[in-house]
Amino acid sequence: MSTYFRQLGAIVAKDLLLELRSRDRISSMGAFAVLAAVLFHFSLDTSTTRPQDVAAGLIWMTLIFGGLLGVGRTFHIESQDGAMQGILTSPAHKDAVFLGKTLANFALLFVVSLLVLGVFTLFFRLELGANVGWLVLVLGLGSLGFVALGTLFAAVSSGTSMGETLLPILVFPLLVPMVVYGAGTTGRLIAARPFSEVEGNVKLLGAFALAALAAGAVLFRYVVEE
Amino acid sequence: MVRIAGLRRGGIVLTLLGLAGLIGLYWMSFFWVSTELTQGIVQRIFYVHVPAAWTTFLAFGFCALTSGVYLWLRDERLDRAALCAAEGGLVFATIMLTTGPLWARIAWGTYWTWEPRLTMTLLLWFIYLGYFMVRSSTEDPERGKRFAAVVAIIGAIQIPFIHLSVLWFRSLHPQPVVVRPDGPSLPGDMLTTLLTGAAVFLVLFMGLFLFRYALETLRAEADRRARTSTI
Amino acid sequence: MTMSTFRSPARRVGFALGFLLLVCVSLGAREVLGMQQPATPQSLKPFWHVFAAYAVVIILVGGWAFSIARRLRDVERRLVD
Repeated sequence: MSTYFRQLGAIVAKDLLLELRSRDRISSMGAFAVLAAVLFHFSLDTSTTRPQDVAAGLIWMTLIFGGLLGVGRTFHIESQDGAMQGILTSPAHKDAVFLGKTLANFALLFVVSLLVLGVFTLFFRLELGANVGWLVLVLGLGSLGFVALGTLFAAVSSGTSMGETLLPILVFPLLVPMVVYGAGTTGRLIAARPFSEVEGNVKLLGAFALAALAAGAVLFRYVVEE
Repeated sequence: MVRIAGLRRGGIVLTLLGLAGLIGLYWMSFFWVSTELTQGIVQRIFYVHVPAAWTTFLAFGFCALTSGVYLWLRDERLDRAALCAAEGGLVFATIMLTTGPLWARIAWGTYWTWEPRLTMTLLLWFIYLGYFMVRSSTEDPERGKRFAAVVAIIGAIQIPFIHLSVLWFRSLHPQPVVVRPDGPSLPGDMLTTLLTGAAVFLVLFMGLFLFRYALETLRAEADRRARTSTI
Repeated sequence: MTMSTFRSPARRVGFALGFLLLVCVSLGAREVLGMQQPATPQSLKPFWHVFAAYAVVIILVGGWAFSIARRLRDVERRLVD
């Protein structure tokens, strides 16, 4: 059991270390987040729409598009120099590889999601108040489900000739529950509703993330086998 | 080869049977069944729309099941069955997605309603579009089959979540008052017509599935011969 | 559609049936609507929608069948070669 976690930890550490050195994924995701918020601000006609009313939905769309940028390149590093074969022939379990990659992606996306929340709070003049903690939780659960599905299908799409352009087509239909529960809950929390009102949805968001992780862990080995 | 001929014949027979049944269904829904009170004539689309929906879900469910067993047992026939079911599912999903707005426009004034069944079918349509895209865009066809199987399985796993979330979403927003003719108080003649429609569509799907399966088996044979002859 | 479409007797039967069906549907639907009053464009609209919906079923199911048959012919030609 401890070997499993060590393998898992090794993969997470490898990915995060590579990311820390090159900073290409996090910088592109971060820049996207800020610029998207700017564009969304300009896309609203404040005489007809209150920014606070639409902020929740736009936060989640920014997260999804920005997340796709980062997650799409999950296996980019492995595509060079036969690194993928190296990982697959190592004693690490395939699901450990998947979970490791997913957790590393989650770390990246979670940081970016906090940035998105901050930028939108600033640009859209949101008043988060006491619900900040719950908002962070909701964003975290949503990000987890998203990266689970995204990592699995990133492996699929990087094995096709269409590459990353196939990723949104595969992933978007499956993100409906995440968007419905995530944006709905975020909107209510931003509107200063009590957490008890959205508790059920948060649980479902968590269940969604768990199901995505489990399914990905089981199915990943079929995707990467030679 | 004899077995393929048998499949093909069976497929054609069932399809012709289904087409005859379709004509019977059309006759029933135009001349026999009574007109619904509030919606009038346009409600008759119900007798093809709902059976198409049921057939779609059956096809996609069967595809996900055979995909799962294929990943486990690696029997090519299972993958072929999944492919045929996916193709059939797309056809019947398209029927459902076109008849739905045609009905909704007259009955409820708007082309698209985010009705749970309609929304689910729209999303499934795209998931299975992805199924075919992934199959056809890999260099190694075996990999393509595995990728497609994964897409089908994840699609099936997500269905309960999608359904729940759509229901919750709709509960928040005022919807047009939907007169649901398939409630528990569906009159006898309407129920008979609906069930006839379901049976007819099922027969059609099975017939065309067998026909398609024969094609796929023949194609696999042709590919195999082409591969061995070039060695 | 070229003349080769009508080559096989099965296809001819199919097309004849389809045409007959369309005629029956048109006649039947008008009867069901009860054309006592003059047919205004407004009152005909539901009829067109129903007609279109029922036609869509035939077109898509028939189209799939036709597509399978065509592909089968191509594969058989490949096998013969």
